[in-house]
Amino acid sequence: MIRSLDDVSRIAGEKGPKKLAVLAPEDEEFMLAVKRSWEAGYIEPVLIGNSEKMDELGEKVEFDISRFERIIENDRQRISDLGIGMLFSGKLSIVSKGQIPTSYVYRSIIRAEGKAASGMTVSVVSFWEIPGLGHLTAFTDTGVSITPDYRTKADILRNAVFLYHLLGYEKPRIVVISGQRKFGRTLDSYRDYKLLREAADAGEFGECEVVGATSFTEIFLGPRGRLRDYRDIDLAKIPHIILVPRLDTGNIMCKLDFFLDVTRCSIAVTSRGAVCIPSRADFSDSIITELAMGVVVADRLEKGVR
Amino acid sequence: MAGTFADIIEAARKKAAKRRLAISSVKKSDLEIISKAAKEGLIFPVLVGDGKAMETLVKKSHLASLEHEIMDVKDAGGFLRAAVALVREGRADMLMQGAEDLKSFMKAVLDANTGLLKGKLASYVSVFQLPKSDKLVLVTDTFVNNYPGVTEKQVILEQAINLAGLLGIEAPKVAVLAAIEQVNPSIPSTLDAAVLSKMGERKQFGNAIVEGPLDIDCALSHVAAARKGIKSVVTGNVDIYLVPDIESGYLLAQSLVFIGKMEMAGVLMGMTKPVILNIPFVSRGNRLVEIALASLI
Repeated sequence: MIRSLDDVSRIAGEKGPKKLAVLAPEDEEFMLAVKRSWEAGYIEPVLIGNSEKMDELGEKVEFDISRFERIIENDRQRISDLGIGMLFSGKLSIVSKGQIPTSYVYRSIIRAEGKAASGMTVSVVSFWEIPGLGHLTAFTDTGVSITPDYRTKADILRNAVFLYHLLGYEKPRIVVISGQRKFGRTLDSYRDYKLLREAADAGEFGECEVVGATSFTEIFLGPRGRLRDYRDIDLAKIPHIILVPRLDTGNIMCKLDFFLDVTRCSIAVTSRGAVCIPSRADFSDSIITELAMGVVVADRLEKGVR
Repeated sequence: MAGTFADIIEAARKKAAKRRLAISSVKKSDLEIISKAAKEGLIFPVLVGDGKAMETLVKKSHLASLEHEIMDVKDAGGFLRAAVALVREGRADMLMQGAEDLKSFMKAVLDANTGLLKGKLASYVSVFQLPKSDKLVLVTDTFVNNYPGVTEKQVILEQAINLAGLLGIEAPKVAVLAAIEQVNPSIPSTLDAAVLSKMGERKQFGNAIVEGPLDIDCALSHVAAARKGIKSVVTGNVDIYLVPDIESGYLLAQSLVFIGKMEMAGVLMGMTKPVILNIPFVSRGNRLVEIALASLI
């Protein structure tokens, strides 16, 4: 079982290099991450983007990019379509977003899934490593579905459970979180929690458990608890998968790594493999971890786990 | 300007008159907090309920040696109603939730005719003390409104700006949060944020500097924002975070408490008189801060 991002880096070093398309590595932090990931033996990059910018940045971070396959393209959507196209045609096993808006990448993936008639709901899983926790925890969907309904949430959950199984978690624990309080009308997210819990109990998502809690208060304090002392908070109680009710919630929460003592890495789950989704604001250390996670997921997919 | 919870307590202590705090169905644990607040000189407690039962309870607490008042109410079902009326009629200055369940309490205080609602809506502002720095940040609305539209968000923001002013933050920097930093018509929170930002630009929120939409990384980090091409005095130095909806607000506040282990106190805004809720993720110690916060309003 992969318990930490150190495990991810170690395994990426062992299983790499994997061919990875980099969509617009047109930012210093991103080019640095590509360089260091290549040096660590994780990836063999295929660089897609603006020629001058890539050359300039390669020089800036002292990275000879002439040895790698390069596709020169300036149009943002076209860059994304090219990289995702290579993933779906089996030319490579991982794609990573660079300095382009995420919506372009999701558009490419959704179109490619449509063409492949996979029926796959594309979703993003954002892992968090919380120091001392002993397992990875993840928010989903943090990237694609704006206000998912029950059916979409079930697909999102299925994707995340699959990913956790892939990482060696036999029975991931899930919390379906909701803004439901003990007053006011019942929120859709709370209704969905009940349905998803029933579905999980009936085995619809494979081996997993949806816990009987919908908020961090309930996770850490139980249904009637109250916070007495901050020292009493036992972070080990945090489940593996946190299914968020909407995109706003997921994105706001998963990027708290900019503030909290946690490390994040995000992966889009597609029917053909992993797409790394670093934020355009991420720094090279964080991007390297995302690329390493992409390598590990790709390796396990190649072994035919799915 | 208040930068810490200790500053809030100090500012409340310096206020000329002690505020009369009404609470019904008081519990032993509430009495400890009330006693502490009374001892600090923040409040004059008014306990509403069964007189004899409360006298017995008070005798066993530190409040016994401090100034207080017990208001005996004969009708056991009317304790909360009496406490709310006491505040509404000006015989007490603030209301604190006692042992009543949240649903009954909220119903009582938000009642349009007999409650304490000032305008059309109330909001709950969570105040966090940033670790390792003398800065308070406000997050709103983290408890009351489910899916506010832009009209409601305008009011929620005004209420938070008012609270910021009471804490000495004269020109608060506001981040209107959304999933992404770009205006995307498919994501309603980004449209609301853009409208509020424009209203801010036109000085509809006074001196507040309102920026949105901002995703949380841009709000938290000036460098991250610059890498996404956003240049603003708000990024990396936010005083007020306005969240898009309750799913985000309620869960964000709890994430900061449980995972970030950040100290939090909150207060209900938009009321004719300050109201203190009994929120389970506010630590016992910080309920004293909530009393101090309420007494500043």
